[in-house]
Amino acid sequence: MRIKMPQIKKPKIKMSKEKLVMNITIGIACFALMLVMFMQFKVVNQTDITSIETMREEDLRTELADWREKYTELTDRYNDVMTKITEYQTEKENDEKTAQLLQKDLEQLSLALGTTNVKGEGVTIILTDNGGNSLADDEDVIISKITNYDLLLVLRELYIAGAEAISINDNRIVAMTDIFLRESNDISIMQIDSQRITSPYVIKAIGNKSYLESAANSKDGKLKQLQLAGHGVEVQTSSASRPITIGAYTGEIETKYMKDKE
Amino acid sequence: MIVIAIILGCTIGAIIGINAPIIPYTYSTFLAIAVIAALDSVFGGITSVLKKNFDLTIFITGFFCNSILSIALTYLGQRLNIDIYLAALVVFVGRMFTNLTIIRRHYVDLWKRKMAEKAVNSKKVSKN
Repeated sequence: MRIKMPQIKKPKIKMSKEKLVMNITIGIACFALMLVMFMQFKVVNQTDITSIETMREEDLRTELADWREKYTELTDRYNDVMTKITEYQTEKENDEKTAQLLQKDLEQLSLALGTTNVKGEGVTIILTDNGGNSLADDEDVIISKITNYDLLLVLRELYIAGAEAISINDNRIVAMTDIFLRESNDISIMQIDSQRITSPYVIKAIGNKSYLESAANSKDGKLKQLQLAGHGVEVQTSSASRPITIGAYTGEIETKYMKDKE
Repeated sequence: MIVIAIILGCTIGAIIGINAPIIPYTYSTFLAIAVIAALDSVFGGITSVLKKNFDLTIFITGFFCNSILSIALTYLGQRLNIDIYLAALVVFVGRMFTNLTIIRRHYVDLWKRKMAEKAVNSKKVSKN
């Protein structure tokens, strides 16, 4: 029995040694397994927060591709819009330039046509008709009345002197203005277009005041002739600081027959 | 004794795993496949214990080699742009199910035998 006891004990110790090694090994294996598992759990848990840092590479790649596509699309659209904006701006600028040019043209045309109120230096001629009276020097001579031709000649002289705008008794003289004398029953009526005018005729002319003045005071001029004939002629000059104002042509400018030739 | 070893190993592993720094998600696939490989080895080990042909060397080498190999294969798959880890997953999980079936059958058989013994014993007792 005494000999047997250690025989039985020996294998027991051997068994426990083997078991110990096995247990330790299995323990290590379990440890490794659990370690890795819990690390993985943690990672997965963290990923539930869906932060981009822990996102999967594939997802990130897909996301990136999506964003890139979107970016490209948006860039294309942005470029399109920018091109359009540039086009519109150029158009707008062109339009503005055209508009400015048109406005300038219009203004100039209006000025030339006489459809605007204008002011500037020039002369004012007050022509008093003494027709019917006898001359101061010679009472036998009866002064003839001022005719429309006289006025037209005066105007022509003023235009030749460079008058840019002329009015008679505040009736603007334009290209189509007609001055005529209507005579009926020994009464003559001076008319500008359909407007009746009477003496004294106030002729306002805007232009170079010295040219106009010299034209008005010219020895061979119509005004001198009229003065000699016995009519009252008074010439006043106005400088740019005290300009003459001439009103716009108030009538209608109509063209029935003439058309623009392309 | 073995239960204590398992519990101790698991507890320490869990504690350290919880307190371990977070690894980037990119590498989590490797960890996951390693975990599956290790679990497969564990179930294989349990089966072999039940079949009484358990070899510690085979178990340990299987445990670590499978994990490392699966990680290597996953990495290769990523390089080749093919999901090799799926194949590894199928194999490991399939084997796990097979082993689980074996374990279940073993314990069910054991339980049935015990129940039968109990029944026989109770009959004997009642006869006596």
